[in-house]
Amino acid sequence: MSLQEHYRSQARELLAAGAVKMVVGYAEGTTPERRRPVFITEPEECSRLVLDARCRTNLAGYLLREGLLSDGREIAVYLSTEGVRTINILAAESQLSSAQVRILGFEIDRDEVKAMEGKRAADFSEAILAHKERRKKQAPDELAAKLEAMNAAERFTFWQGEFSRCIKCYACRQACPMCWCRRCVVDNNQPQWVNTSSHTLGNLEWNLVRAFHLAGRCVECGNCGRACPVDIPLHLLNRKMTGEVLEAFDHYPGMDEHQEPALASFRKDDPETFIL
Amino acid sequence: MARIGVFVCHCGENIAGRVDCSKVVLALENHPGVSVATEYKYFCSDPGQEAIKKAVREENLTGVIVAACSPRMHEATFRKACAAAGLNPYLCEIANIREQCSWVHENPDEATRKAIEITRSLVEKVKRNSELHPIEVPVTKRALVIGGGIAGIQAALDIANAGGEVVLVEREASLGGHMAQLSETFPTLDCSQCIMTPRMVEASQHPNIRLLTYSEVEKVEGFIGNFRVRVRLKARYVDPAACTGCGDCMQKCPQKKIPSEFDCGLGKRTAISTPFAQAVPNKPVIDSRYCTYFKNGKCKVCEKVCQTNAINFEMEDEFLDLEIGAIVVATGFQVQDTALYGEYGYGRYADVVTGLQFERLASASGPTAGKVQRPSDGAEPKTVVFIQCAGSRDPAKGVPYCSKICCMYTAKHAMLYAHKNHEAESRIFYMDIRAAGKGYDEFTRRAAEEDNAGYIRGRVSKLWEENGRLVVRGADTLLGRPVEVQADMVVLATAMVPQPDARELAKKLGIGCDDYGFFSEAHMKLRPVETATAGIFLAGACQSPKDIPDSVAQASAAASKVLSLFSRERLEREPVIARNNEATCSGCWGCVLACPFNAIEKKDLTDRSGNVLRRVASVNAGLCQGCGTCVTFCRSNSIDLAGFSEKQLFAEVMGL
Amino acid sequence: MSEPFEPKIVAFVCTYCTYAGADLAGTSRLKYPSNVRIVRLPCTGRISPMFILKALQKGADGVLVSGCHPGDCHFDHGNYHARRRWTVFNSLLQFAGVPEERVRFSWISAAEGRKFAELISEITEDIRRIGPFEQYHALIAETGSPAPL
Ligand SMILES: Cc1cc2nc3c(=O)[nH]c(=O)nc-3n(C[C@H](O)[C@H](O)[C@H](O)COP(=O)(O)OP(=O)(O)OC[C@H]3O[C@@H](n4cnc5c(N)ncnc54)[C@H](O)[C@@H]3O)c2cc1C
Ligand code: SF4
Ligand code: SF4
Ligand code: SF4
Ligand code: SF4
Repeated sequence: MSLQEHYRSQARELLAAGAVKMVVGYAEGTTPERRRPVFITEPEECSRLVLDARCRTNLAGYLLREGLLSDGREIAVYLSTEGVRTINILAAESQLSSAQVRILGFEIDRDEVKAMEGKRAADFSEAILAHKERRKKQAPDELAAKLEAMNAAERFTFWQGEFSRCIKCYACRQACPMCWCRRCVVDNNQPQWVNTSSHTLGNLEWNLVRAFHLAGRCVECGNCGRACPVDIPLHLLNRKMTGEVLEAFDHYPGMDEHQEPALASFRKDDPETFIL
Repeated sequence: MARIGVFVCHCGENIAGRVDCSKVVLALENHPGVSVATEYKYFCSDPGQEAIKKAVREENLTGVIVAACSPRMHEATFRKACAAAGLNPYLCEIANIREQCSWVHENPDEATRKAIEITRSLVEKVKRNSELHPIEVPVTKRALVIGGGIAGIQAALDIANAGGEVVLVEREASLGGHMAQLSETFPTLDCSQCIMTPRMVEASQHPNIRLLTYSEVEKVEGFIGNFRVRVRLKARYVDPAACTGCGDCMQKCPQKKIPSEFDCGLGKRTAISTPFAQAVPNKPVIDSRYCTYFKNGKCKVCEKVCQTNAINFEMEDEFLDLEIGAIVVATGFQVQDTALYGEYGYGRYADVVTGLQFERLASASGPTAGKVQRPSDGAEPKTVVFIQCAGSRDPAKGVPYCSKICCMYTAKHAMLYAHKNHEAESRIFYMDIRAAGKGYDEFTRRAAEEDNAGYIRGRVSKLWEENGRLVVRGADTLLGRPVEVQADMVVLATAMVPQPDARELAKKLGIGCDDYGFFSEAHMKLRPVETATAGIFLAGACQSPKDIPDSVAQASAAASKVLSLFSRERLEREPVIARNNEATCSGCWGCVLACPFNAIEKKDLTDRSGNVLRRVASVNAGLCQGCGTCVTFCRSNSIDLAGFSEKQLFAEVMGL
Repeated sequence: MSEPFEPKIVAFVCTYCTYAGADLAGTSRLKYPSNVRIVRLPCTGRISPMFILKALQKGADGVLVSGCHPGDCHFDHGNYHARRRWTVFNSLLQFAGVPEERVRFSWISAAEGRKFAELISEITEDIRRIGPFEQYHALIAETGSPAPL
């Protein structure tokens, strides 16, 4: 049985038995290339669930929709390692209880989907640890390496070009499972820290602030970059931050649901080479 | 509409010599929101302050900027003046144009320009200041002292003698702590129990002290002046009100072979017992771990012999809730588990003992009635080897620090032993002799010069048994050669370590521990008896290794802190504290975790019928110290700091 | 440009250490360039990265962020939290192309008046040398705000 079939039948059983009230998964999108999230509550609808290498969206954020989890019932959700880490972060930040999340785990390896065994976020700790080790050794991608090699002025010019296109649609925020604030800092106009004018300056501020807010929290799922209508390489900023907290604080976001947020904790011997 | 007054001070020539104050006035006069701008020679002088007050009243000012010296000099002065004129003091800010301008810049034009900009940006800030009122908290004049060793007793007595109420909580069945276990004490060699027992009795009978022995602190909530503390009174199975302390029960208890904790395992006790003969209160408790009845369901001999029917096997732990104004933590120390020291043979050879065991052997009330006998066969040892720093100053064993008292008590032991046994010979392996203290160096010298203590500088590497004696091999680093000593008994000066549950208690209290588990003071030098949590103080060896004089001194210091707190009906605290916007808070608890003072609590927001809708952060005004660490953490800008609010700082920076 | 370039520098400091250190520089009558504007905060823990962005928006050519040395924080560990934020934000700014010389971080205690004076001199010199932050100024100009001096 393919994994798609296997998870379809699991989803069906879970719904039929009343073990979960909903399954959050993927369905065919508007084009053959696209997959879109579906929210299934009836066992017979489970045949709509698809699972293949095009299922890239991190679905964890959908669990935070207002009131969805407030009845204490469980929801099953298709999650890759990034998604499971997201659950850990959301639990660590008290946005949900991991006990309500029944995981249908998968991993995409090139063009293949593979099952990832486990039901609860805590069952995936080994896979997450392996990811962390791999991440430590990962070299920056081509564009990132190019940027690192530039001087400051060239980098500034690069980002100026990118941010000049930002239309402040906040699709990145909408897509990001970690952007769950009841009120986002840009929506605070008392004071208006982030310049909301449509100029590059405000766009730069917005993107820097969002990247800072995701430092130590971003799981690199790529939702924001995929959402951006003007294709700003947002992942570069977030990856940079992830690399930084990993290197400086040995913090890899979403290891478990008790992990202290990188920026709400410290070690007395944290590195500080740049401080005069 | 803002009506700001700007007062530019010349400070004699100090400011006016470099900054053209008239230009500053001119530049500010027409700044939006400024109603009046003036200059004067010395605004801090009486006429200067009067001028400010007059302007506040006449111009009906809504804010004041004094451009003058550092706020660290006269902010208080000018705020008071504003208050006297009816303006909330927190609507007054200082622009520092002396220390950070006229005194450090040579070019008058540059200095003037900078003074204008500094003042302008603060005008922008003060426009957004809001009235703040000192936070008043009532003070419950009752202190909780945790730990009934010498430090706790001293603190309790000092507070009680000054009229304060004290609840003294001791987890053992008797007061006393380690001092009650000691034989004689350095540097005077007076008998420990002789000086300790009267203190214990005084504490137990003091009308202002409520003594709760065999009790532990379960939970602490609240803040300075207003703690709510829950104490667990452990089941004693003996009604202390009925018990007369006659001891019949202890005579008859069939469980007679329990190693006595008080005697460090060298003596035996019964299952119903007091820790030691002079215990205060002198009323036994039943140790259910050993009691035949609790183990087998049969016995109750004690119940039968007790004339006053004090025994009650049905007793259960009880809880007591207390309102407390201040807390003194005096939970003392432990000696390190010597099992870590394989090389010294502790636990393997009966005649290798700890310093504390030696105290019991030398104590007139100890298991040998003060005769130093070796545990293995009761023989009197001829040669005793003492090993100092057994554990201390050894990073590999987790105790890199110096335990401070071992040099002294080892010298004491050698002396006591020499006094008891005139043919005695003692050899002391040491790393350094650290005898700083009044009469201390003289004391260690006396041990060497008059009481025949042979000091060998070096570490011991190995210890083994040979023909019924112990052989100690070490290095004499002064002579640069190995030494071997045959000994009848070996005494280890084991390290002083924190109580094993110190971290747990610290968590309950919301105070900090150092890397080892000793409680952290608020400032090593300037606030050595306070903790970072207002209203909680430290005394004795729970903060760092200490001898008795230091423990007592710190206890009295802690008591004086408590008493100065109790000298007032209400506490006034700076209103520069964080506040949370419950509407926007997402309850992520990042601020809760980041706050250095555990000042942020989780609060339920409920609907009218009491259902919890969501939980949000809520700042405890009694605990918040106003650092703003939480504000910077909060991504959604929900939490803010009064006096340095987001709006104020935004305006200040944008006014630059 | 006829006049020599005088950079605008904004310093965000905690009141207990660096602010007091700056006061000490004053009481010791040390001299340093007048380019710096100091914003006083209760603790480094209160210094938000937003302040840095707003200073840049107001045309700062350089920013200094400074507080008590590790272990000396009046609030026990506000500066340890600050250090983590700085580590992250510093790296972010550099990645975004803000030159390292423009945003500096330091520990300056209440006793280090001399360090304060020397650091301000050094930073001012550095920034005089690299010139105005023109790339940022160009962004500001776009918004229609008056160009920074
Ligand atoms: C072998 C040896 C010899 C020494 N000789 C000398 C000497 O000659 N002269 C000298 O000046 N000093 C000497 N000292 C040091 C002396 O013992 C200490 O300075 C002194 O006992 C410290 O007193 P304290 O009250 O801080 O701690 P402790 O004596 O340890 O008392 C702490 C008390 O708190 C209680 N407690 C602990 N935790 C809790 C809790 N959670 N709740 C309630 N109660 C709790 C304990 O049961 C204990 O009663 C010696 C120490 C040793 C080890
Ligand atoms: S950008 Fe920051 S404030 Fe806005 S939603 Fe995301 S995390 Fe929250
Ligand atoms: S999705 Fe892209 S365009 Fe929209 S706000 Fe984010 S970065 Fe800007
Ligand atoms: S950090 Fe902000 S959002 Fe999070 S709990 Fe605190 S106040 Fe609420
Ligand atoms: S201002 Fe400081 S002390 Fe007060 S709640 Fe925030 S972090 Fe805690």
